[in-house]
Amino acid sequence: MSNDIVFLAEFNAGKPARSALELATGAAELASQSGGSAVALAYGSGAADGAAALGAHGAARAIVLGDEDRPAITYAAAAVAAARDGGLALLAPATPNGRDLAAVLVGKLELPAFGPVRAARVADGVLETEQATLQGSVITTSRPAEGAPAPSVVLVLANTFTPAEGGSGSAQVSQAPAAEESAFSKVIVAESHPADAKVVNLEEATIIVAGGRGVGGEDGFGPLRELASVLGGAVGASRAAADAGWIPYQLQIGQTGKVVKPALYIGAGISGAIQHRVGMQSAEQVVAINKDPDAPIGEFADLFVVGDLFQIIPALTAEIRRRKGSVG
Amino acid sequence: MKIVVCIKQVPATGADKRYTDDLTLDRTGVEAIINPLDEYAIEQALRLADDGSADAITFLSMGPEQASEALRRALAMGGDDAILVTDAALAGADEWATAKVLAAALDKLAPDVALMGMASDDARGSLVPGAVAAMRDLPLLSYGSELKLADGTASVRRLSATGFDWLSAPLPVVATVTDQVGEPRYASLKGIMAAKRKPLDTWSLSDLGISAGDLHGAALTKVTDARAPEEKAPTERIENLSAAESATKIADWLAARKLI
Repeated sequence: MSNDIVFLAEFNAGKPARSALELATGAAELASQSGGSAVALAYGSGAADGAAALGAHGAARAIVLGDEDRPAITYAAAAVAAARDGGLALLAPATPNGRDLAAVLVGKLELPAFGPVRAARVADGVLETEQATLQGSVITTSRPAEGAPAPSVVLVLANTFTPAEGGSGSAQVSQAPAAEESAFSKVIVAESHPADAKVVNLEEATIIVAGGRGVGGEDGFGPLRELASVLGGAVGASRAAADAGWIPYQLQIGQTGKVVKPALYIGAGISGAIQHRVGMQSAEQVVAINKDPDAPIGEFADLFVVGDLFQIIPALTAEIRRRKGSVG
Repeated sequence: MKIVVCIKQVPATGADKRYTDDLTLDRTGVEAIINPLDEYAIEQALRLADDGSADAITFLSMGPEQASEALRRALAMGGDDAILVTDAALAGADEWATAKVLAAALDKLAPDVALMGMASDDARGSLVPGAVAAMRDLPLLSYGSELKLADGTASVRRLSATGFDWLSAPLPVVATVTDQVGEPRYASLKGIMAAKRKPLDTWSLSDLGISAGDLHGAALTKVTDARAPEEKAPTERIENLSAAESATKIADWLAARKLI
């Protein structure tokens, strides 16, 4: 029990969030180092029916906190009751919902907190994490202090772990122990205003084509969408483009938007201010296209293309289509 | 209706930052500012005071003595008074210790709303507000692009998967707001002058009934190493080429990395 690695697994309409699959695999990896098991804390609509399937990604057990469609924070009391049993570490996705639940665990159970981390491991029974701090200017390594309570709460960025696929294992499912009355259950959705159009979850994209002020308007995102489509990726934006109303805020990347870690990030017409940079600096490869040869993004991109995005992006889309052998 | 806005003093965004040999932040010669995202919480509180939804605004900070400058700057934007919790035993405080101290100070101040920014510029865990809510057993309303107060209820407008929701809870609450609440106001000259006469009290841990021993050396975590990020490969540049030539080169580059 004390060597187990616990993780938060959010469900929506019976489907696990991609973060749940990633953390199942990450927890299994850490559990193999600690000599324990990977244990899911599953919550959200359809969690009870879907939890067993986390076994295919590495979870040995799943504790269901509740399976209704209600605000994530209302699962806090059940999460506290389930996490009280310890475990060496508890992995939480570094999303708004994941952070809220992680924060309640830190406050209620008085636990050490880490992250968002870019790596984690267990060595000689001790958790060690690595994180970029001070806007990426310093990399620190951390451990729980001597005598600190367990589990350690660890925030994990999307795409830190790659979900293990194809396993046929089934997690052993149980219900969370009864929770105490909690103030968090008083949070309700008073009004809901969903948009008509579907918006992708940017944190789950492995390729992102992002546009900024240089895209010039809503229509300017058209060529970016075509490039994203041919690459099998998603479209994102800087805060300037979201503030201008060219694209929904759900697609904003940066300090106050999504923090993403795709295999490939292509930034078009984005200058690369620090607030945007902290949202995408963990991308494995960064390509920037900008007509300003001195744009800050040129200093940290892997490939910096100086030129007009409205000419280069359609040409690139056509070139990739040609190489993929499709028509058009 | 009383709001306490919690603010943090942080190194300026563009400042050159490094760790000292004892693995804490070297603050010498680094310009300090109000955490930029906390300015939105200040702005939200002042807007609620402007429209009559709130009638008392207090600013609360935990930090070294020089953090009183951040509180004075907040008072120059508006509000009534400020409290600085400062104590030598708080050096190197982690999220848990920070939350514990703020929760104790908020117990004493007993506001209807404890309001915070969505993240700090330097650490970015965003865990302190929720931990404070848990320690005080109050509802958490987080990541609001707007906060409204009416009829004993607080509500935040929060992004959902595709659109937005209004989440509500009965007062008192802990709430956080994003940079979508509206641009923070500038301090006027009159505001700066007025701020000098507003009360700014300093509390130590003993004023909060906390002993240094309760704080586990101010942290349940320990930094064992701090270093510069790995040197990355130098940026490759493509310039002074036609769009078609650029596109071919980009495609080659992507293909070499198996990205297409």
